[in-house]
Amino acid sequence: MKNRSETVRLEGHAKQAIETGRNRLILAGCLVALAFATVGARVIELSAIGDSSEPGVASVDPDAQLTVGRADIVDRDGLLLATSLRTPSLYADPKEVLDAEEAAFRLSTVLPDINPAETAAKLSSDRRFVWLKRNLTPREQQEVNSLGIPGLHFQDEWKRIYPQGPLTAHAVGFTDVDDHGIAGVERSFDDVLRGGRDPLHLSIDLRVQHIVREELLHQITTFSAIGGAGVVLDANTGETIAMVSLPDFDPNVPGQMDPDTLFNRATLGVYEMGSTFKIFNTAMALDAGTATMRSGYDATHPIRIARFTINDDHAKARWLSVPEIFKYSSNIGSVKMALDVGTEGQRAFMAKLGMLRETAIELPERGRPMVPSPWRPINTMTIAFGHGLAVSPMHLVGGVAAVVNGGIRRPVTLLASDIPSPGQRIISQKTSENMRRLMRLVVEEGTGRKADTPGYVVGGKTGTAEKAGGRGGYKHKSLMSSFVAAFPMQDPQYVVLIMVDEPKGTKESYGYATGGWVAAPAVSRIIARSAPLLGVAPVDPESPEIRRDLMIEQPAEGGKRLASF
Amino acid sequence: MRRSTILWFLIATCLGVALFLVKHEVQRREEQLAALHRQILASQEAIHVLEAEWSYLNRPDRIEALVRRHLNLVPLETKRIGSLEMLPMRLPVPDSGDGGTGADGTVPPTLAALPPLPVGRPLVLTREVRR
Repeated sequence: MKNRSETVRLEGHAKQAIETGRNRLILAGCLVALAFATVGARVIELSAIGDSSEPGVASVDPDAQLTVGRADIVDRDGLLLATSLRTPSLYADPKEVLDAEEAAFRLSTVLPDINPAETAAKLSSDRRFVWLKRNLTPREQQEVNSLGIPGLHFQDEWKRIYPQGPLTAHAVGFTDVDDHGIAGVERSFDDVLRGGRDPLHLSIDLRVQHIVREELLHQITTFSAIGGAGVVLDANTGETIAMVSLPDFDPNVPGQMDPDTLFNRATLGVYEMGSTFKIFNTAMALDAGTATMRSGYDATHPIRIARFTINDDHAKARWLSVPEIFKYSSNIGSVKMALDVGTEGQRAFMAKLGMLRETAIELPERGRPMVPSPWRPINTMTIAFGHGLAVSPMHLVGGVAAVVNGGIRRPVTLLASDIPSPGQRIISQKTSENMRRLMRLVVEEGTGRKADTPGYVVGGKTGTAEKAGGRGGYKHKSLMSSFVAAFPMQDPQYVVLIMVDEPKGTKESYGYATGGWVAAPAVSRIIARSAPLLGVAPVDPESPEIRRDLMIEQPAEGGKRLASF
Repeated sequence: MRRSTILWFLIATCLGVALFLVKHEVQRREEQLAALHRQILASQEAIHVLEAEWSYLNRPDRIEALVRRHLNLVPLETKRIGSLEMLPMRLPVPDSGDGGTGADGTVPPTLAALPPLPVGRPLVLTREVRR
């Protein structure tokens, strides 16, 4: 440091060089200082000031959530009806396969359902990608791997599984091999299911569904019928608790289904319902005021119009009161009641009930009613007892629910919902109460006695329709026997319909195949088994409150009319 | 000068080592997190498969067949369902001070002296297979 005062003086070139060096040094120093200042500023910014866009707490990687392929479908209690599982699918790159013939042969030893010749053709094709088999089981995958054939690869694919098998086949539907819904709810909610993670809640109750299917199957077997449909509907919300159509299919084995089994008789099939329509006919006449519970009609003689004769199956050949017309299912009386309301009134009432359009049910398989056009007086007469207007069983159940629940029609639905739709009033509360009495009467004394279930105050109506034959006529031997019921009748909660297609009489039924013999016993058993599950408490039907609610003044059997008529 | 240089050098080395350790730790934890995520996914998928299997094994028809084979259960009859109002009136308790049983669990002598209540017939559930 002591040499500092002795300044070295340099002249000329040397001085110049040192000056240049110093200048450069200063410049470099400035640049480095600037760089450090920037880094320092950044350090201060990051550590002290902080970045507001940075999350304070570590968040879970959204990819860590399970991708389920296609959302599940569950019943109202959350039991699985449809789910997707990841399964390996086998494909090949034919360019990598050395010996197509041998590879195909060896593959067929572990995958018995593939055809060696077809597979060999696939393996010797020019493409770079051929599917060999979709959705293998883990065991099959293991076996294919252990063959060690080059050029075979696996790709994980989603496979739709229906754990309940055929039980909910028609409601849930199924998907094709590429996971697109092609029937049932799978199709109508395809977009929701494909995008969503949350399961789709149906209103179906699996336990009741099972009971309905079992009882329906039993009736079909007993009466050698070709099929049938069964529906249980919540009368106050329009939710479908059970919906069965038989014969049915197993949605887990696509491609092997008989087209006949795919047909949904409960929603797609439209049928002339027969006498169950008298529920609507009577409600219409009572609500229009053209008939009262005390009025009566002359049912002595059959009605002849054009080439038809309208007769009674349980002919009494006398004057019948409105309750008797309903109880004995008198066609003549019903026709006269309908004629009093008139053609236009009947058409308007049927439209209000939703009988002229498709139901609101969330299925692609919805039958369009066959409505007479033009609606002539003869149609008015036949529709009075359920011929000439063909509707699906779902229409019928929805209509009956509206008639018994106090007169509010709500769209039928397959989805569980907390808030029922407000609905639309179609008949008055008083008419609805009278209809409850009449339906109870049918089960107590009329054609539906076999539907009675101790404790549950069942009311209903039988229906036995002859199926329409080839040329506008009717096949007298092929019947459509049904019973539609509601319970408990003092405050209806559920509507049950059982319909059996072409039953044959048995020795036990004395050769009868009518709704009262074929469908009513099944309804009774369904109610007895499912009411405890549905939380309907049994009551004593003889208790004074219920007697009062469901009492009807009737003339004594024997034809004498009461003075009050 | 030299002392401060050494100090700064030490600080820098310490910071460097600390930074290295922290970075290493973060990396390790990130790997751990990813592993946990993979594990969660695998578990979720396993749960999913098990749920499907559970529903498959709980099919109502299978349960019903098993019940018929192994248990004496029959469908609930309507007459077995009752309400509180259907119960008979409670026996009036004499000297109702402690309400029936004494504090020590013994039956008060007044109740014990009453004739024994009729014992209901034991419920016999038969193997009633429908149809």
